[in-house]
Amino acid sequence: MSTKYDEHNKYHRFARSVAITAVSLVVFLCIWWLVSKVADNAAIPEPVETFSALFSLIQNGDAVTGLPLSTYISSSLTKFLSGFLLALAIALPLGLILGNFKTIREFTNPWIEVLRPIAPIAWAPIFILLFGYIQGATFVVFVGIFFPLLTNIVFGVSKIDRVLVDASKTLGASNLQIFTKVLIPSTVPYLMNGIKVGLGIGWMCIVAAELYATPLGGIGFYVANMITYGAFPQAYAGIIIIAVLGLLTTGLAEYVSKRVSKRMGMDVRCPRARSRSKARNGARSAYAPTAPTSFTRTYPRARP
Amino acid sequence: MSIDGLRVVYITDESETVAVDSFSLDVKKGELVSIVGPSGCGKTTILRCIAGLLQPTEGKVTIGDKVCTSPGSDRGMVFQDFALFPWRTVKQNVKFGMEIAGVPKEEQEERAMRYIKAVGLEKFADSRIHELSGGMKQRVGIARALVMHPAVILMDEPFGALDAQTRNIMQEQLDKIIVHSDRTIIFVTHSVDEALYLSDRVVILTKRPSSIYKIVDVPWPRPRDRASPEFTNLRKRILEYLEQQNVMED
Repeated sequence: MSTKYDEHNKYHRFARSVAITAVSLVVFLCIWWLVSKVADNAAIPEPVETFSALFSLIQNGDAVTGLPLSTYISSSLTKFLSGFLLALAIALPLGLILGNFKTIREFTNPWIEVLRPIAPIAWAPIFILLFGYIQGATFVVFVGIFFPLLTNIVFGVSKIDRVLVDASKTLGASNLQIFTKVLIPSTVPYLMNGIKVGLGIGWMCIVAAELYATPLGGIGFYVANMITYGAFPQAYAGIIIIAVLGLLTTGLAEYVSKRVSKRMGMDVRCPRARSRSKARNGARSAYAPTAPTSFTRTYPRARP
Repeated sequence: MSIDGLRVVYITDESETVAVDSFSLDVKKGELVSIVGPSGCGKTTILRCIAGLLQPTEGKVTIGDKVCTSPGSDRGMVFQDFALFPWRTVKQNVKFGMEIAGVPKEEQEERAMRYIKAVGLEKFADSRIHELSGGMKQRVGIARALVMHPAVILMDEPFGALDAQTRNIMQEQLDKIIVHSDRTIIFVTHSVDEALYLSDRVVILTKRPSSIYKIVDVPWPRPRDRASPEFTNLRKRILEYLEQQNVMED
């Protein structure tokens, strides 16, 4: 019994992608196993050891501190979430202001240009010193998420469809009403894009910050602690947990962002059919287009 | 409504371009006036000045005895690329202006539905914009302008983005709406055929800087027969005028 693969059948496509992923994972494990055999070093444990350590971690928790895995996870996620919310609370209004007011944008551009390229984790020792272990890690996450959010929001504001602004003016809208009823909604897909990028970076930050041995736990702490004890399979088990949680967070962000963009009828990744002028006033240095499409329209200005 | 001595100068770093010069026009209540002209002349610029989206360098636009200097809902505008809010449904798009004006909720609902029905979209009232075809989108655009009961409706090549067949259907529908109301409409188009089918008067512009070259009256009753001899004759004459414009420039 043989059925031919049909590209247009949704189940066929699904089965195909599952099969490819499964084979890919198996090949990955084989390579891992091979590397551990060849290297013959305690720092690269075999997959089997690692997975038994992982199951033990899930079942019995951390053998050294006696804390269950859930404590570590919730500790990491709490810091992650508060860092994210803080970044959102500041980046959203700031992004709208910077996007709207050219002078303020030009004024703050040097600060942002200087601060943005600094790896968030470079702040970790300072933040931990300033705010303590828990808040310190939160602020590292904040820095990691803040810049992608801010740049995307500013970019979104600059990409607002001028003709929508014109339309709302002819319908009698004031500047404030244009701001709330046109500008904010049309920035949402870019905001979602910023959240997507930011969460990925934020997740890397939280683990890295926790590696500075956060006493009250967190998965990063678990990994760092296990390495100091030389318990490498356990450390790798922790890394797997980090990977899975990271996948879940970014997957969730991706899903939500897709739904929101669809609901708003403006998928930023699919270009509009009719865009007139090229984005002459497009991305300025600090505001690199992480969202790709441009649908601006520029009008010349008559002398008043 | 009257437009008086309109002059628009665009300024770039290198040069000044006079887009529109001494353009004056009186439009009677209930009249549909088309503006046609060589491509690249200031048709859209004139419309944007009337809408208040662009400040003319000289001249003024008055409705009744009120001078219009900024955009307002007394001058509704229909845009070539629809300019609908993609995050709103059809009905929410039509309600936008009434929300701005603070019209009571029940009245918003009633008026929105009345105009959505008038353009034949009652089945799509709760659809999102991206689910609609081009012709349907522009009908939303028209309903959104009409619902505000503007003194004048400005249409900037409203059917320019549509295919030829949809275009004809839309022209017929707009014609019906005109017959059933006493709307004042200024209609910019590059299609002479469209202008003759819809308007009471056709204003032919010169090349840049735009001013009025000729005004042609179209006195026939509606709906008009595009194949009738007087229709084709007049179309030919207007096309000749436009041709002369191009030659004069070269």
